[in-house]
Amino acid sequence: MNTERHGFKAILLRHETILLFVVLLEWLYFNSVGPRFGSVDNTFDVMRHSVEIGLLALAMTPIILTGGIDLSVGSLLGLCAILFGKFWRDMGMPIPLAMVCTIGVGALAGGLNASLITWLRLPPLIVTLGTFSLFRGLAEAITRGVDTFTNFPASFIFLGQERWLGIPAQAPIFILVAVGIWLLVHHMTFGRSFRAIGFAPEGTRYAGISVERRLAMVYVLAGIIAAIAAIIYTARLGQAKADAGMGYELYAITAVVLGGTSIFGGIGSVHGTLLGVAAIAILNNGLVHARQPREVAGMLTGLLLILALTSSILPKMLATWRARRQTSIAKTPITT
Amino acid sequence: MRRYFRELSVAGALAVVLLALAVFAPAFYQPQPLLSLLTREAPTLVVACGMALVIISRQIDISVGSQFAVCSVCAGLLAAKGMALPLVFACCVAIGGLMGALNGVLVAGLRLPSIVVTLATMVTWREALRWLRQGQFVNLPDGTQWFGLSQRGGQWMLIIAALVILVSLAIATRHLSAGRFIYAVGTDAEAARLAGIRPQLTTFAVFVFMGALVGLAAMMNVVQSPQVDPKSGSGLELKVIAASVVGGVAISGGRGNLWGVFVGVLLLASISPALTHLRVEAYWEKAIQGAIILLAVVADGLRNRKQR
Amino acid sequence: MKRILSLFAIAGLAMLMGCGKASESGGGSGGGAGGKKTTIALMPKSKGNAYFISCKKGADKAAQELGVELLFDGPTDPDPAKQNEIVENWITIGVDAIAVACENREGISTALRKAKSKGIKVITYDADAQPDAREFFVNQATPEGIGFTLMDEAARLCNNEGEFAIITASLTAANMIEWQKYIEARRADKYPNMKMIALRPCDDLKDKAQSEATALLSANPNLKCSMAICSPAVPGAAEAVKQAGKTGKVKVLGLGLPNENKRYVHEGVTDSVILWNTEDLGYLTIVAADALAKGTLKAGDKTIKAGALGEFQIEGDSILLGKPFIFNKENIDKFDF
Repeated sequence: MNTERHGFKAILLRHETILLFVVLLEWLYFNSVGPRFGSVDNTFDVMRHSVEIGLLALAMTPIILTGGIDLSVGSLLGLCAILFGKFWRDMGMPIPLAMVCTIGVGALAGGLNASLITWLRLPPLIVTLGTFSLFRGLAEAITRGVDTFTNFPASFIFLGQERWLGIPAQAPIFILVAVGIWLLVHHMTFGRSFRAIGFAPEGTRYAGISVERRLAMVYVLAGIIAAIAAIIYTARLGQAKADAGMGYELYAITAVVLGGTSIFGGIGSVHGTLLGVAAIAILNNGLVHARQPREVAGMLTGLLLILALTSSILPKMLATWRARRQTSIAKTPITT
Repeated sequence: MRRYFRELSVAGALAVVLLALAVFAPAFYQPQPLLSLLTREAPTLVVACGMALVIISRQIDISVGSQFAVCSVCAGLLAAKGMALPLVFACCVAIGGLMGALNGVLVAGLRLPSIVVTLATMVTWREALRWLRQGQFVNLPDGTQWFGLSQRGGQWMLIIAALVILVSLAIATRHLSAGRFIYAVGTDAEAARLAGIRPQLTTFAVFVFMGALVGLAAMMNVVQSPQVDPKSGSGLELKVIAASVVGGVAISGGRGNLWGVFVGVLLLASISPALTHLRVEAYWEKAIQGAIILLAVVADGLRNRKQR
Repeated sequence: MKRILSLFAIAGLAMLMGCGKASESGGGSGGGAGGKKTTIALMPKSKGNAYFISCKKGADKAAQELGVELLFDGPTDPDPAKQNEIVENWITIGVDAIAVACENREGISTALRKAKSKGIKVITYDADAQPDAREFFVNQATPEGIGFTLMDEAARLCNNEGEFAIITASLTAANMIEWQKYIEARRADKYPNMKMIALRPCDDLKDKAQSEATALLSANPNLKCSMAICSPAVPGAAEAVKQAGKTGKVKVLGLGLPNENKRYVHEGVTDSVILWNTEDLGYLTIVAADALAKGTLKAGDKTIKAGALGEFQIEGDSILLGKPFIFNKENIDKFDF
């Protein structure tokens, strides 16, 4: 019955709107607690700190929309980061070429996931659980854990540390990727099929869409974006090591799900994901300003996730409950 | 034979590993170290059995590692307070069951997706525990280790306990109606409902049971040493999920059995000591583990593809 | 229904804020943040690590005596990126001094240089950053000192010959890699008859360390010594040796906290535990950070006074806490941390 409602109230009840409300409240609260929280510097810090996880969350959104999941993005970030370092330092490539090669590796790794998932029709959870260990293991094996790539030229560190035209240098890349994926998912028939696949893969196939090819594409895309995130991560820290991005897959999934994308696929939006990333980033940053220990941020993220989920299904639950009560009332005279 | 192809192929892989060890590193088969290694894996086996049931019912629980830590620390604190061991044991299982029940309420009651619910509870329990305990070890009173038995006795007891749980669950899932319910719900919840099974109740029960098993496993781990590490159990979720999947439990629910899980646990557990014995450098361990998981599922995928 | 929904949302937020506020009153140290009180931010490698909690105990004491406000926070997992984020947050908050135990030398230096350029005093403790990224390093023991002490002690226990194995936290932990380098250097230099046969990671978990040590023991019957260089691994390795019935035959030593190892030391399983006084480390760090912020400690100073602990030597830009301490059966009961 919710679908019939239109206009202002419907928009107000949308998951994204509620989340926007949460983000605003977070902001207001932390702004009242921490005097420097609302400053431009800090706002840019929040942005800079959330770019890598934001990118992974953006990559994860189309995947989850198709009903899949990718646990390997964090490990792939680590593998790409050290390979980037290897290309630059050990193979003597110039930075731009090393970037291109790194993105190529990301695409290849995404392709490995994609081929196992589509060609062999294996569940994404399992395939990427395997590559999660494999990619991290390769990163550790290649560097033997020890090798750290550092002393990158200042022109490269600029990408992670400095401002360009007044905004953090990595922000344009993030915005570009975000807009790209938003257009892909929401404004192209090609991308809209992701949601169709998530709803009903068989139905989509009968509709004449090549499900395999599109599924493969989202995983390759995730690989490419993970490689971009790896480059930005390296620039922000000024170093690349095999432990880069450990556990980031879970942050990314959390952001996507918090953003209202159904883990079963079919439902969700890119702007929701962006709000989810913002909600978590502001929470993590704001709690430092509120002088709270870091553990609280983790606990609140967990609670927020459950609350967000509950709030999004509550209307449906109430509707079914009401409907059931009505039918049972209607039924009672007949059955007795 | 064909029906148990998956289980047999994993058992084959395990046999290859064991054979390689027998040829190249016979020292692996000294009874005492082997007994110790098996005892270390007994809690993992118990959790993996629970996880298999959860996955068969088409859910997943990634909070088991955090639950394990919470149960371990609670058990440690209660024992340190001087509570009698059987009572500590009961409390530990109850605490696990309660945490499982919370997952169960959210998943079955509110119909939230289990992967997200347990992701949230995983983070919440873990961070809460870190906040409250700040990573301090709990020192257990004397006589807690091995339940006050001798070391050998305690080790055999834990291994036998884990095997008893495995065998009884394997039998129960095949022959008890409650066990069949889990398969039915995992295959098709709606069909199960029409057949007179209450899918939500079944799911709830599976999560509670999972939690209780985690409590039990935590206790089995606590008694193995005189101290409790509040970080114990971290990464356990991935280990048991991997073991279940390698052992042939289908992530899409309704398929798989506990014998396969048993072999899966043994295979994954043998990799690390095998590498130590074969003197492979530790740097390759994670990559090899990933490759084995992939090989197991790829073999299955290829076979299914042929059949299509 | 809508009303219920919005009520729910508001209730959730109220809870969120309630949580924040409630814990604030409990967790905030120092209080009365308004005035011109010096604020010092102290970062551990990771939260929930008993080692750093005992550092914090000393730091709290110093903060109270000096009347400074102490912020204590760090990543929940040892993640270099998260350390940088918190440092950058502290820069924005505008603390007076930052003291960091660096998870990753190069990574954190990027953020620390930034803090320095903003006029914040930066010191490092426990694990150093790059020298140009900080003013002083409170040196509880150099990597060289730790590596050499471990190797010397291992050689002493094994009579200068035999096989030994190392259990580390993870293959990527920067400081442990550094220690291993010096262990190897010392071995090659002074103990050519000792042989390092394996290096195994335990993910900073006692349970995993126990499994790893058990496998090491059975794979290497000639193993004479297992060296655990992260604190949870010491009791883990000891338990493995005890269970294998090799108490006394295989020596156990490592870096760890006395409280976690007392039992094994008394049972004779663990021979020596090497560490420094962590509380003093925390105390000295805060004293130095405060002196630096107030301008009483400058580059080139030769000593620093630290309250009840007396005077400490400064060598170049490192403040020396003293040599690593070896805990054994005789002295371990005198310490409680």
